[in-house]
Amino acid sequence: MWIFPGQGGQKRGMLKDVPTEMITRVKELTGIELTDSSQSYQDSVQIQLGILLLQLFNIRQLQQIGQKPDAVAGHSLGIFAAAVTADVISEDDAIKIVYLRSTKMKESYPSGYGMGAIVGLTRKEVEAIVTQVNSKTEPVFTSNQNAELQTAVSGSITGIQKVLELAKKQSASKALLLKVPVPSHSPLMHSVADDLEKGLAKVDLKDPKCTYLANFNGHATHKAKDIEYDMINNLIYPVYWDTMIDVAQELGVDTTLEVMPGATFTKLVKAKFPDFRTITMNSMNLDDIEFLLNKWKRG
Amino acid sequence: MVTRSWTQNRDRKAEKMSAISSLLNGKIAKTEDAKKLLETVIESGDKVVLEGDNQKQASFLSQSLAAVDPEKIHDLHMIMSSVSRPEHLDIFETGIAKKLDFSFAGPQSTRISQMIADGTVQVGDIHTYLELYARLYVDLIPNVVLVAADKVDRDGNLYTGANTEETPAIVEAAAFKDGIVIVQANEIVDKVPRVDIPGDWIDIVIPADQPYQLEPLFTRDPQNVTELQILMGMMAIRGIYEKHNVQTVNHGVGFNTAAIELLLPTYGDQLGLKGKIVPNWEVNPTPTLIPAIESGWVKTIHSFGGEVGMENYISHSPDVFFVGKDGTMRSNRAFGQVAGQYALDMFVGSTLQIDQFVNSSTVTNGRLSGFGGAPNMGSNPHGRRHSTPAWQSLRPDNDPLGKGQKLVVQMVETYGSNKKPVFVDHLDAEEVRKEAKMANVPIMIYSEDTTHIVTEEGIAYLYKTDSMAEKKAAIEAIAGVTPVGLRSNPKQLADLRQKGIVALPEDLGVHRNEAKRSLLAAQNMDDLVKWSDGLYNPPAKFRSWS
Repeated sequence: MWIFPGQGGQKRGMLKDVPTEMITRVKELTGIELTDSSQSYQDSVQIQLGILLLQLFNIRQLQQIGQKPDAVAGHSLGIFAAAVTADVISEDDAIKIVYLRSTKMKESYPSGYGMGAIVGLTRKEVEAIVTQVNSKTEPVFTSNQNAELQTAVSGSITGIQKVLELAKKQSASKALLLKVPVPSHSPLMHSVADDLEKGLAKVDLKDPKCTYLANFNGHATHKAKDIEYDMINNLIYPVYWDTMIDVAQELGVDTTLEVMPGATFTKLVKAKFPDFRTITMNSMNLDDIEFLLNKWKRG
Repeated sequence: MVTRSWTQNRDRKAEKMSAISSLLNGKIAKTEDAKKLLETVIESGDKVVLEGDNQKQASFLSQSLAAVDPEKIHDLHMIMSSVSRPEHLDIFETGIAKKLDFSFAGPQSTRISQMIADGTVQVGDIHTYLELYARLYVDLIPNVVLVAADKVDRDGNLYTGANTEETPAIVEAAAFKDGIVIVQANEIVDKVPRVDIPGDWIDIVIPADQPYQLEPLFTRDPQNVTELQILMGMMAIRGIYEKHNVQTVNHGVGFNTAAIELLLPTYGDQLGLKGKIVPNWEVNPTPTLIPAIESGWVKTIHSFGGEVGMENYISHSPDVFFVGKDGTMRSNRAFGQVAGQYALDMFVGSTLQIDQFVNSSTVTNGRLSGFGGAPNMGSNPHGRRHSTPAWQSLRPDNDPLGKGQKLVVQMVETYGSNKKPVFVDHLDAEEVRKEAKMANVPIMIYSEDTTHIVTEEGIAYLYKTDSMAEKKAAIEAIAGVTPVGLRSNPKQLADLRQKGIVALPEDLGVHRNEAKRSLLAAQNMDDLVKWSDGLYNPPAKFRSWS
């Protein structure tokens, strides 16, 4: 199974190996010049397009060494490269849609909103705290489930801070504000989803060539319409990452390969299933990846 | 007068069999014809048993069934004791199957929850093993059964050996009711080592492309037994096995019970209990029992299924195990479950959650794992009439018409592996019932049947309590620093200890500082091999040497 991380792992110079023609193509389609600098990665359009492009390049590299996955799992932004891998959407359309997604997200909440992360409490425990704090003036929602005891919250900064305080009192081992300027994966993102729905209406989508694990409900699917729903709406639902990995394991997945940037999700997979064989493109060159995958395939 | 035919099922079966006669040589078909065969003999809407046992899976037939054309065959009613493999649920996604009656779904518990919630799988009901086998003879009589055998001869005689498990129970339900019995064979032979199921009951044999899936589910590496588990094991041996004079027992599959098995030849011996407790077992041939067998503690073991790696050891110990004239073990899950329910003094198991009323369940949020054998063995059988000292020791003394009770023991650490309390006010299973629209909360063992709970804090003798309030207090007293446990207070604890409802380690003469790993009769897999004189052959994943 190939894993596609979302925002968070971007860093200056990450596009240095990406062919110029791919970077030019982004400019042609969106007008955005990817500068791949620390400063540009303060901007969420640069971040999202940069990561998408890096992942599209990784996919091409893996295809060149004859690899294809049995399943794909993207986290948040990562679902677009996952959908490209599964042949659901073309590279060009993915770039256009991620451009739309990132600009609308940037416009939606200029300040005062964001996300937090809580480690050490169950989802049920976090939900109880969130229900206590959530109000019209300080909206906050239970968001991504990255592991059994790792839950994100999303909403107004003041609401999030109250939730984090209460979580600490309830002996959460970690409760911190994330460097994310929008309340992603919460109902507050409805307007962006509406824009994405219009944008995707013009795009031709095909059924996936491999199993696709959906963010919005953690189910496995083989239908284009479920993936379209995920691409439009994953921002208004939590990412049920922990469930996605459970389902993958039940489907027989025991090997994962995480494309760039970073290795966050491989760590989560290893913590949950220590017997899984894992590879991160971040830390291994293509020759070694080819050797390992072929060796494992032979058994 | 209208002439009514009373042989319609038989006629239909004869028609189907004649439609495939060109594909058969006697009873034997070709591997590559499996899909075509299934598409011919199975009809849409049929009741089909697909053998998924605990250890053994009819994996070739499940893959073949998943490959049939959903246009030709759809809406099957599947009956499966264990939903274990991905294609067991894939067939619901593709429409080949629609309804499911099952027992256990641990290995597919997340997907099955999702598919029930979104209506992909329509659940008839969730059963204990025995209930499901029973219904095969009453209101779930199968049209087709798909089972697995090790060796099959030209007449269709089956050798199912150590992993006979539930094959006989399934085959019988179809063979005598004009159902069609299809067997996947690891190997076609001229003569089977012994006949486990007569060829007369078998219609079609298909040589499988590879041997059926078989998992060593009951192997526990002694290396992973913790000192907390050893402490709890010592308490259980003193405070339950010895106190109640337990002779017959079933152990669950956890490390808690593995610890007890490894403590009998050491700690049990120090207490002078050898020859006095637990000679007779209904249990899978778990390797951690080898030291207790070798040192003369265990006299007999009957098993539900086999255990990979134990074959040779078992062959050499027919005095202990149930072994055929051919020298290999015979298991039988249906008889094993009957024995486990009716013939045992005690069941010892573990669970993921226990609520304030002492109901326990392994069903947690988002995971509908179903039941295996625990609800049968972990219940007090009302049909039991024979008496044994342990059973009788639980008899209430204020009722002239009273009778004894089975000991049902749950061993849990107060905090689970996810660092969350095992003792909760409400079971996650209550939520799961709503999500899966089930008639009843999927409780594994009910409060009324649970007689003892052992934690690292102590033992609660729940059968001695005379009110729910007292039962709750007993649980609180041994629930440690969980929110439930924090409700207990020193006065309450002293009172319960005085009444003998709660025992702490010191009340049992167990010293916490003696609970050391060195007390285990085997420290690791290598030790188990040595105890077995080299006859036990651990599966590769349990080997740290080679």
